Amino acid sequence: MLSRSTFSRNAPRALQKQCSAAGANSRRSMASATTPGLQYDVTESAGVKVANREVAGPTGTLALVAKAGPRYQPFPGFSDVLEQFAFKSTLKRSALRINREVELLGGEVSSTHSRENVVLKAKFLSNDLPYFAELLAEVASQTKFAAHELNEVILKTLKYRQQALAANPEAVALDVAHVVAFHRGLGESITPSTTVSFEKYLSSEALAEYAQQAFAKSNIALVGSGPNSAEVSKWVGDFFKGVPSTGSSAGYQLKQNTASQYYGGEQRISSKTGNAVVIAFPGSGAFGTPAYKPEASVLAALLGGESTIKWTPGFSLLAQATQGFSQARASTQNLAYSDAGLFTITVSGKADQIASVGKNAVDLLKKAAAGEISGEEIKKAVALAKFRALESAQSLETGLEATGSALINGYKPYQIGEVAQSIDAVTEAQVKDVAKSFLSGKASIATVGDLFQLPYSEDLGLTV
Amino acid sequence: MSAPSLANYIVKRPWLNRWMMPLAQWYTDAAGYRRIGLRADDLIPEESETVQTALKRLPPKEAYDRVFRIRRAFQCSISHQLLPAAEQTKPSEDVEYLSPIIREIEKEQQERVDLDTLIVKR
Repeated sequence: MLSRSTFSRNAPRALQKQCSAAGANSRRSMASATTPGLQYDVTESAGVKVANREVAGPTGTLALVAKAGPRYQPFPGFSDVLEQFAFKSTLKRSALRINREVELLGGEVSSTHSRENVVLKAKFLSNDLPYFAELLAEVASQTKFAAHELNEVILKTLKYRQQALAANPEAVALDVAHVVAFHRGLGESITPSTTVSFEKYLSSEALAEYAQQAFAKSNIALVGSGPNSAEVSKWVGDFFKGVPSTGSSAGYQLKQNTASQYYGGEQRISSKTGNAVVIAFPGSGAFGTPAYKPEASVLAALLGGESTIKWTPGFSLLAQATQGFSQARASTQNLAYSDAGLFTITVSGKADQIASVGKNAVDLLKKAAAGEISGEEIKKAVALAKFRALESAQSLETGLEATGSALINGYKPYQIGEVAQSIDAVTEAQVKDVAKSFLSGKASIATVGDLFQLPYSEDLGLTV
Repeated sequence: MSAPSLANYIVKRPWLNRWMMPLAQWYTDAAGYRRIGLRADDLIPEESETVQTALKRLPPKEAYDRVFRIRRAFQCSISHQLLPAAEQTKPSEDVEYLSPIIREIEKEQQERVDLDTLIVKR
């Protein structure tokens, strides 16, 4: 018999051998600019924009991205409810039947919404593509919007979702930061908070009208990832013929797409669930949009706060600065939207520590604006920012929505090579300039938690 | 929910339907619920899960009217009186408002049972 020690010693080596036998080329293909399998083939069939990236494999994904997130909803709560009405009873079959059929085929359907989009997603064995294309078309055009489903199922789950949001101070603070920064449009909260009276606007008829607009052909894009692009556009063309090309001009219109404007300001909300402070500045938009500023994402990686490696605070400036504060957590992000972005520094944890960590964060930003950061650090940050951008484009969760959003808004979809180039081209001076512009402009500050201890913007050293 | 009935058999045959209609109308009128302002659907026993769900799904106005009719009928019954002719239910008003919802719920339940006992042949 093999003894365990010999086996375990040799197994990694055997694996290594196999990998090298497969050829160095296939393993290193990520580095080239035109990576096959990561580019999207964009076509239009039956008036619907379709993008697919060919990935050889036994499974496929198809997502319907509709420009109907809270930014475009006519009244609060509409896009939340629209998202939850996905895969409920349609004129052809009941919700239960859809559920059981999907289970039998071994697929997975889900729906989510972001600030701008409602995304219906199906993952399946690639042979079942026609079934899921039909299902998505049916959900988009023939959902029943039964009043009892709204009252018995959806409003109840929405209530839990609201409670979950209210119990998460970081999420509340992020939401409030958006409100302060953008007022309407991008500022609409992603899920109406527990105190919002959204029920008075909501009825199944209103929602049906809204859905007709939301899922009209001009307002959606289909993004897939599967073995065969031609098949995807063929089946989408077949099944999406019946989807109306424009919604009716009824009372519940989608909101007009007005350009986002940054305002800035400060808001404080007391809460017993925890403490969080979000310090936000106008950041970079999504790739391909006029608001795209790669230096903002580099600065986000530079400030950082969360380590990418285990058991070490990592190189990022905030992580280094918060080493002494064990009960506070900081992270920096650039949230990109179709025509604007929000650069956020989130600090959460114990109230007294948040005050000093927040102060540290602003001091670091000032240091970056003064150009006191070494080039070495910035190089690391560029590498991390590049990794993050490419990784999010590659992963299905974020990549599908980003691509769909770009298609609907008429920007070019994510091009891996160009993203990498644009981030590589970021210089120290650019990072310094963007930090400077943050400090000279107005900040958006949202404070949630124990207001007696949490700092004001003046305490942090920022102007609002 | 529904008791066995010949109604479908009769409705499908126009000649029989024409024959039975006067008889049916006389019978419904003689049942007397219209004289105290009720509708046929008000008489459906409430004590079942299905009907309870159906009652919850009634639109608010319908639900209010139903309670009103039942309370008025109750008063009439206690005081051993009939409503004045103008307030009694006219045959044109005696329409189904609850039964369609009950049938829908029964269909849902049946579908669930069918899907649960489904045998998949591949």
